[in-house]
Amino acid sequence: MSTENFPIQATVSSARQLWHEHDGGSDISVGLLASHVWLALGWHDIRQRYRRSVLGPFWFTLSTLIMVAVLGILYSTLLGQEITTYLPYLGIGLVVWQYLSACVNEGSTAFIGSAYLIKQIRMPLTVHVSRIVWRNFVILLHSLPVVVVFMFIFGHVPGPEFLLVVPGLVLLLLNGVWIGVVLGTLCARYRDVLPIVGNLIQIVFFFTPIMWTKDLLKDRAWVAELNPFHHMIDIVRGPIIGSTVAPESWLWSVGILVVGFLAAQYLMQRCRNRVPYWV
Amino acid sequence: MEAFIRARDLSVDFPIYDNSHRSFKKKVLNLTTGGRIGSDAGKHPVVSALAELNFDFSHGDRVGLVGHNGSGKTTLLRVLSGVYAPVRGQLSVRGKIASLLDVSMGLDPDATGFENIYLRGIMDGLKPALIRSKIDEIADFTDLGEYLNLPVRTYSSGMMLRLAFAISTSVEADILIMDEWLSVGDAEFSAKAAARLDVLVGNAAILVIASHNPALIARICTRKIHLEHGRVLSDEPVVPEVQ
Repeated sequence: MSTENFPIQATVSSARQLWHEHDGGSDISVGLLASHVWLALGWHDIRQRYRRSVLGPFWFTLSTLIMVAVLGILYSTLLGQEITTYLPYLGIGLVVWQYLSACVNEGSTAFIGSAYLIKQIRMPLTVHVSRIVWRNFVILLHSLPVVVVFMFIFGHVPGPEFLLVVPGLVLLLLNGVWIGVVLGTLCARYRDVLPIVGNLIQIVFFFTPIMWTKDLLKDRAWVAELNPFHHMIDIVRGPIIGSTVAPESWLWSVGILVVGFLAAQYLMQRCRNRVPYWV
Repeated sequence: MEAFIRARDLSVDFPIYDNSHRSFKKKVLNLTTGGRIGSDAGKHPVVSALAELNFDFSHGDRVGLVGHNGSGKTTLLRVLSGVYAPVRGQLSVRGKIASLLDVSMGLDPDATGFENIYLRGIMDGLKPALIRSKIDEIADFTDLGEYLNLPVRTYSSGMMLRLAFAISTSVEADILIMDEWLSVGDAEFSAKAAARLDVLVGNAAILVIASHNPALIARICTRKIHLEHGRVLSDEPVVPEVQ
C-alpha cells in the first residue's frame, strides 16, 4: 500500500475544484458534504429499481408488512410470547437489521461495484458509499412506519421518548458510512474479505437479539452487551416500543461511530489513491 | 490565472493481483510457514504503464499524444484527469480540468435524457443550480426534443451519442483532455458538433489529445509527444504543413 499523498496541488478552492482535488485526507469530508450528489444518486437507484411499478418504493412497505405479520404470528406462537409486544419488537429489529446488513454487504462491494465510475471520473470515493447507505436508509424509512402502525393497532401510544428515534436514526445513517468505507476498501484489496463478511453477517444475525429478547440470555447477557449491532438496533427500537434504552447503547453507538470514522479516515488517507488500481 | 500541468518523474505501475496474490490465504500461509513459502509476499508483479515522464504544458499548448496501442496514452490522460494518482513522481495541475475520455460514461439506459443530464452534471461536481441553467442549452443542442423525456434505452445509438456528446461538451474548462477527436451523428449534426468542439477547444487554455490520426494532430496541435512503452520517445513542436 502506498502512503504518498496525491500530489496535485489544490490551488483554487471553489466547490468544483475541491470536488476534483480532494485527497485521501479530505475524501470523507468532501464526499459527505456533497450531500446533493449522494442524495440524488441514492434516490435514483431506488427509482430505477421500481420504475414502471405502480407501488414504487412502497413495495418496501408492503414486503415489510407481510414479513413482519407472518414472522410475528409464527414466532410469537413458537416462543410463547404475547403478540402485541413481540410483533413490534421483532418488526423493528428486522427492518433495522435489514438496513445494517445491507450497509455491510453492499458497502463491501461499494468500490468494486462502482469501478466503472471510479476509473472514469474523479470524485470522492465516499460518495459511492454514501449513495448505497442513503439508498438503504430510504428503504428503512419506508419500512419502519409499518411497525409503528402495527403498534397503534395493538393500542400502544408512543410517549415523548419516541422523539429519541431521531438521534437513533441519525446515528444509524452515519454508522453506515464508515462501515462502507472500511469494508469497501478492504474488499477492493483483498477479495477474500467479501465472502468472509457475508458469512459473518449471517451468523451475527442469530447472535443479535432480534428474534429473541436479551433477557432470555439470563447470565449470558454479555453476548448481547458486547455486540455493537445489538446496541445500534436498540437505540431505534427502544424509543419506538417505549422501553428505556440503556445508556450503554447510546455510548456504544457513538463510540463505534467515532472509532469507525477514525479507521475509515486512516484507510482513506493511506489507500484512497490506490483504490482505482485495485478495482 | 495561468493554467499549467507539470510532471516530474511521473510513473504509473499497475499491480497485477492474480488469485494467489489477492488473498488472505497467502498472507496467512506466510504467517504459519515463517515466510519460507511465497517469498514474494507484498511484492506483486507490476505492469509499468508510464515511466519517469517529465513535461511542462503551459497556457496555449495544444498537445497531441501519439503512439501505438498500449504505449500509455490513455493511462496518461487518466492520470491527468485525476483518476489514477501517480505511483511515483510529481504531478502539479492548475486549472479546471474537463476530460472527454468516455463520453457515454455513466449514461443510465433506464433513466430519461433529462435525468442523465442532471446525474452526469452532479458527478462532474457541478452545483444543481448550475446544471438547471445548462439543461435547456444542452437539450437544444441535442435536437432530441420530446425524446429527452423518454428512457435513454429507447434511443438509437446515434441519438444516444448526441446526448452524450452534448452533456460532455457542456463544460467550461481550462484544461481539456480528450481521447481521439469526437465525431458524432449524421452529416448535419456532425458539422454542428465539430463547431461546438472547436469552440470548446478554442476556449481551453491547454488541450491534451491522444490520437492515431496524423492529419488531426497536424491540424490542431502545436506540440506532439510520441510515447513508446510508457516513455517519451520524442517531444517536438508541430510544424504547420506548407501548402
